[in-house]
Amino acid sequence: MSGYRLDSGGRIDRSQRIEFTFDGKTYRGFAGDTLASALLASGVMLFGRSFKYHRPRGLIAAGSEEPNALVSVNRGPGRFTPNLRATGVEIHDGLNAVSQNRWPSLKHDVVAINDRLGMFFPAGFYNKTFMWPRSFWDKLYEPVIRKLAGLGEAPTAEDPDTYAATYAHCDLLIVGAGPAGIDAALEAMGSNKRVILIDEQDELGGGALADPALWPWLERSVMALNDAPNVTILTRTTAFGYYHDNFIGMGERLTDHLPDAADTPREKLWRVRAGEVVLAQGAIERPLVFDGNDTPGVMLSSAARVYANRYGIAVGKSVALMASHDSGWHDIFALAKAGVGIAAIIDVRDVVDPGLIKQAAELGITVKVGHSVIGVNGRHAVKAIEIAHNDGTGIRTIACDALLMAGGWTPSVHLWSHSKGTLKWRDDLGAYLPDQPNENARCVGACSGDWDFGKGAVIDMLPAPMDPTRAKAFVDFQNDVTAKDIKLAVREGFRSIEHIKRYTTNGMATDQGKTSNLNGLQIASTALAKPVTDIGLTSFRPPYTPQTFGALAGHAKGELFQPTRTTNVDSWAAENGADFELVAQWRRARYFPKAGEDMHAAVNRECVAVRSSLGIFDASTLGKIEVVGPDAAEFLNRMYTNPWKALEPGRCRYGLLLKEDGFITDDGVSARLAPDRFHLTTTTGGAARVLNMMEDYLQTEWPGLNVWLTSTTEQYAVIALQGPNARKVLEPLVEGIDLSAEAFPHMAIREGTICGIPTRLFRVSFTGELGFEINVPTAYGRTVWERLMAEGAQHDITPYGTEAMHVLRAEKGFIIVGQDTDGTVTPYDAGLDWAVGKKKPDFVGRRSLARPDIIAPGRKQLVGLLTDDPNIVLEEGSQIVAEPNQPIPMTMIGHVTSSYWSEALGRSIAMALVAGGQSMMGDTLFIPMPGKTHTAKVSGMVFYDPEGARLNV
Amino acid sequence: MSDVLTRNEPIPATPFVAEGVTISLAAPMQRYSLRARSAQALETLLNVKVPKKIGATESGIACLGPDEWLFRGEASAAMPTGAGLPVAITDVSERSICLVIEGRGAAELLMSGCPLDLDNFAVGRATRTIYETVEVIIIRDAEDRFQVEVWRSFAPWLLAALTTAASH
Repeated sequence: MSGYRLDSGGRIDRSQRIEFTFDGKTYRGFAGDTLASALLASGVMLFGRSFKYHRPRGLIAAGSEEPNALVSVNRGPGRFTPNLRATGVEIHDGLNAVSQNRWPSLKHDVVAINDRLGMFFPAGFYNKTFMWPRSFWDKLYEPVIRKLAGLGEAPTAEDPDTYAATYAHCDLLIVGAGPAGIDAALEAMGSNKRVILIDEQDELGGGALADPALWPWLERSVMALNDAPNVTILTRTTAFGYYHDNFIGMGERLTDHLPDAADTPREKLWRVRAGEVVLAQGAIERPLVFDGNDTPGVMLSSAARVYANRYGIAVGKSVALMASHDSGWHDIFALAKAGVGIAAIIDVRDVVDPGLIKQAAELGITVKVGHSVIGVNGRHAVKAIEIAHNDGTGIRTIACDALLMAGGWTPSVHLWSHSKGTLKWRDDLGAYLPDQPNENARCVGACSGDWDFGKGAVIDMLPAPMDPTRAKAFVDFQNDVTAKDIKLAVREGFRSIEHIKRYTTNGMATDQGKTSNLNGLQIASTALAKPVTDIGLTSFRPPYTPQTFGALAGHAKGELFQPTRTTNVDSWAAENGADFELVAQWRRARYFPKAGEDMHAAVNRECVAVRSSLGIFDASTLGKIEVVGPDAAEFLNRMYTNPWKALEPGRCRYGLLLKEDGFITDDGVSARLAPDRFHLTTTTGGAARVLNMMEDYLQTEWPGLNVWLTSTTEQYAVIALQGPNARKVLEPLVEGIDLSAEAFPHMAIREGTICGIPTRLFRVSFTGELGFEINVPTAYGRTVWERLMAEGAQHDITPYGTEAMHVLRAEKGFIIVGQDTDGTVTPYDAGLDWAVGKKKPDFVGRRSLARPDIIAPGRKQLVGLLTDDPNIVLEEGSQIVAEPNQPIPMTMIGHVTSSYWSEALGRSIAMALVAGGQSMMGDTLFIPMPGKTHTAKVSGMVFYDPEGARLNV
Repeated sequence: MSDVLTRNEPIPATPFVAEGVTISLAAPMQRYSLRARSAQALETLLNVKVPKKIGATESGIACLGPDEWLFRGEASAAMPTGAGLPVAITDVSERSICLVIEGRGAAELLMSGCPLDLDNFAVGRATRTIYETVEVIIIRDAEDRFQVEVWRSFAPWLLAALTTAASH
């Protein structure tokens, strides 16, 4: 019990008491308190256990740089947030926070044994120790290490909160609302600039919040800014990343500080494009490196001042300072003024500004210059410190219950570095400062080195007379990296700070080295006897502080995660019990089960209906491209493998599209509507890709062609009417088109009307039956579908889905690009030699078809497979071998690409890619499946109606 | 006969109304994608003035790119086919629907998912852009009124995204 609330002072509202729990125990604080300040005021020193050694840890800081006091906040089911800095959690009634990384309790943690065994856990310990046996890693080492090391627990329940998101534009974005940021905003206030001023804290002011002398100025300034119409102020908002062209990602926390968030979004993602960015992120005080510097009660000197002046809290009854910088002296004077008891000032420097010494003397404070702290007594809280002359003599003990560290200042150049602004080293400050900007950005205030904290000495570690290998002098508190770990890394040959960082983990984890980077650099510099600038600097990467996945996802969750595209007929399918599947972004009806039917029964019934009478199918998702212009035929002739110039208007042709490598990438039936107008179709999933590919060729290879491409996928609803009775149903509904077999042959297109609606009527078939594909303006799709259903009732018209479509096409040996091909299949491999124009001088992919490996024998070729047992339906994806008794691993010569039960044939059918398959007709191959190896004979791919008699009726 | 047949639109006809903004479905219209190497080629064919600056709109025609225009007009508007000429005129009337977003909060609502700076997007301007991942064409009719063209199948998602954003 060391910290306590002072009788007066601070910006907290002492009239508003707030009750919350930490590790199940109830505490009280005031409105304006953070979890850290409220607990500190209640005498809590122990906030967490460290990452690796499970050492007891207290508060180091008062702001977002806090590395130790990480807590989880539980707001109910699915609302558990780990790894929050207690210094940034605002308390509210009912707040339920718990400590992390301890078991069974914070005070008594079993794994703290790691600390006693610390000498066995040097840098790189895990890498060195758990290398062997390799097989132990996945099952034993990694799970155990992950359980022992690590921070808060990741939540597993679905997050019920909502998150907002927006873009915003401004002429001036100011990040950080301390005095420098506020000054920048005041300066822009009268202009016509759109200004956004943000700060991660709950109120504007930054460092001024801990300086009561500035409060009148702060109040006036904030009032003026609030009234300024051109200034938008966002508090509780963190700029987490600075991206190209002044694009800043920001997270605004909307409700976490409220006891009852109602139904409003929890956070808001701001994606801001700024004309100019002013970075006023301030500076972070640097800890000092000495044995025991992680004992709870050892904290940054500036933090103690924040607790005293902003929250009205004394961090201890008797507070000592260990300084290498003047700023700590000023902090101590401020504490003394606020009524905090001071034990002593120890300064590592031999010579200190006489003005400071005089002021200390006036306040009656014991001063020891040229001295250093060499040890801290106490495990869960500071009880006393040991100090010595820098030469190691004169060791003595000073009783105190808090020790402050004033090690100088590190400008926060995180965002500046994200933006690729350069840095320059300042020896006198021992810090990197912003140098040349890469974006329209500038740094102001402490983050540009413009501060009035006084002077300091830059040191790597405090001098100590003890055996340095026994010292636990922490550099990175969050990752448990000590000075000797960094020295070990150097001894083991690491030279660049990037490598030292990865080997020791210094500067990693959630705080991204805010308090540790510079000390780590200095220690490495000393160990290597090289200037800091020769060792390099690790990269700063977003996020500046951890952000929730929810905020980053914004709207994109649940049904808004991505669009589910539906056709005009989709609503009918849903009302009629369709089972759906997703194809690319489209939702398609897979089958239409009747009562009691499973998929197998429904698909069999649908297939039989198409073959015996009439089926109706929603083909609207097929990609469609209208190709128009005098050079349209020439363009298609260059794109597709087969000839297009001689195709007559009114006729259709199957088009096969290769990539430059000669492999099939898409196919579809296309129609010539007029000499200069084609209606192309693509696969459902290929629509956007094919249009992009064609545009690419048109714009980059053949810009001289007078032809233009327009996506018309969504212009038309497409209804496929397939089966021997298809024509009979169309006849009474269609006007302006002679439907007779002679006038309207297979692979033709006619324009007319259906039910009075203009239509592009294709006579095409993907089933092998007499078939039509009716294109009507999309809005009328469902209406025309229902007319066809009514008219077709006399023929038992049967809606069928994608599953039956797959069976019907497989019975005819029609391939599906992407299922029967995999990006390594040429037209020859697929048995589509007939679709390659042998006399064409060129088409996309033609040259590749002549490459030696493409024409070599033994390539995988698409063939049919008929199982010896007709009732066995092979699993798609099954591997195929030529000899089942060969030793494992067997030589796999191919795999099954499509496999179905064919009700029409009364047996199973399959397609497969098999090495040299086209010359293996009738051969027996073996397909090992779970439980049994099946045999099948290689066949042609057309299983049903090979003469095509059913088509030409 | 066609007028007795029912059109099926992908979103409800009832407007969505929230504080400061309404979202409604525009009436069906005729749309043509117009492509040519120059505005003159189209002007000669159509006998109307065709905007030459990308983003500009004239005679119901918006210039969307260096060789691309979009005509939007009454449902009955007809267009020559341009047969034989080095132009491409394609009927895309039913490819998209149009959402009208109106009210003082209209621009702010659109900016919830559209990365454009709508403070600097003049009345009369038209452009193809995105709302989150979905392609849209935005036309600003007035300070507080936008038309948003979106392909039909994306319309339910867009409306849901906009109404969700509006409720925030």
